[in-house]
Amino acid sequence: MMIPTGEATIGPFFPPRYVDAGANDLTVFEGRKAKGEAIEIHGRVMQEDGTALENLIVEIWQADAGGIFRHPADPRHAQADPNFLGWGRAATDAQGNYRFKTIRPGAQEGRAPHINFMVMFSGLMRILKTTMFFEDGKDPVLMAVPAARRSLLIAKGNYEFNIRLRGENETPFFDD
Amino acid sequence: MKMIIQPRDERTQPARIIAGYPQTPLRSPKEPLVKRAPTLSELSGPLEVAKRVKLLGGDIAGQGEKQAIGQLIHLRVRVLDEDGAPVGGAVVEMWQANAAGRYIHPNDDDHAPPDPNFYGAARVVTDESGVFELRTVKPGAYPVPTRDGWWRPPHVHFSVFGRVWLARLVTQMYFPGEPLNAQDRILNAVPDAAARDSLVARYIPPGVEPYNALVFEHQIVLRGRAATPAQP
Ligand SMILES: [Fe+3]
Repeated sequence: MMIPTGEATIGPFFPPRYVDAGANDLTVFEGRKAKGEAIEIHGRVMQEDGTALENLIVEIWQADAGGIFRHPADPRHAQADPNFLGWGRAATDAQGNYRFKTIRPGAQEGRAPHINFMVMFSGLMRILKTTMFFEDGKDPVLMAVPAARRSLLIAKGNYEFNIRLRGENETPFFDD
Repeated sequence: MKMIIQPRDERTQPARIIAGYPQTPLRSPKEPLVKRAPTLSELSGPLEVAKRVKLLGGDIAGQGEKQAIGQLIHLRVRVLDEDGAPVGGAVVEMWQANAAGRYIHPNDDDHAPPDPNFYGAARVVTDESGVFELRTVKPGAYPVPTRDGWWRPPHVHFSVFGRVWLARLVTQMYFPGEPLNAQDRILNAVPDAAARDSLVARYIPPGVEPYNALVFEHQIVLRGRAATPAQP
């Protein structure tokens, strides 16, 4: 795990092995390959002054290639890909970049394909949650965001999703 | 599947920007958080995190030649859902300073000695009654290196995976009767007194097992009006 330098902080001081090797690769689960299109998601996490944040923890939660969540709340969960957990964790490097390998999620009824994000870090009294989309559309969670800020939740290219905790182009976060 | 989703009561949750914690004003969103109606995506969540991360046993105080220095304590913590139901099978991560108030972390300066026999972190899974138990040593207090310095009281950090994404919680647990609790800016960032008290563990007098450690019981409520306050 990457190590932050030069900033006196009051923690939280995550243990050195907090991010397990392979925890940011959702394309393989228990040695077996998940179904669907393998993609990479990456991005930089920044604070108010634009400084990149190192050793920040990012977690994601998403549906499988068929749009099914590995969870009993999903009526289709019996058909979920047995080789896809849907959860991963990464830490940002010295340049503030995180990276996940995952499967492009399918859509659910009423929802556009998306990936849920969570951020935890020093200075965040509460964890922050946001959601990444692949394209603009009529998704109800995206529509809940003021129109002028929606584009901040849509990944660029293949697939870049930057997270600005505060300030200019601040990422919309959800009240959970 | 039965699922009640109540919002957390704002008074039970900490302020996002606090004096003496210089990272908070740079990193807490300025824009109001966006309210959304929960969908299946937020009302589901990872249930099998234990298959992806390495579990690290319920005894981090060590045994034999590898015993950590410090007051042995035994934590018995119950994880509850917002409807008061125990959350079994939940992955709980914990980390803490050693007895001298030092973490194994490069950002923690050398104000206090490391303990070669203390890693200071665990990952466990709750049983069917929502309970996990940990044998550890009592963490020491540590100073906050700001100009108007203050001290963190002894505390343990917890990261908990509930049954749904909305229930993900990162918090801390404090110890009863600690004079430093009253001046801690993180604990006191929670406006509601009862909610603050819910972050403090209960000391269990001698007479219950184990007999060779101070026993503390604690409860973590993941959501709802009685939700345990988040802590960084
Ligand atoms: Fe701490």
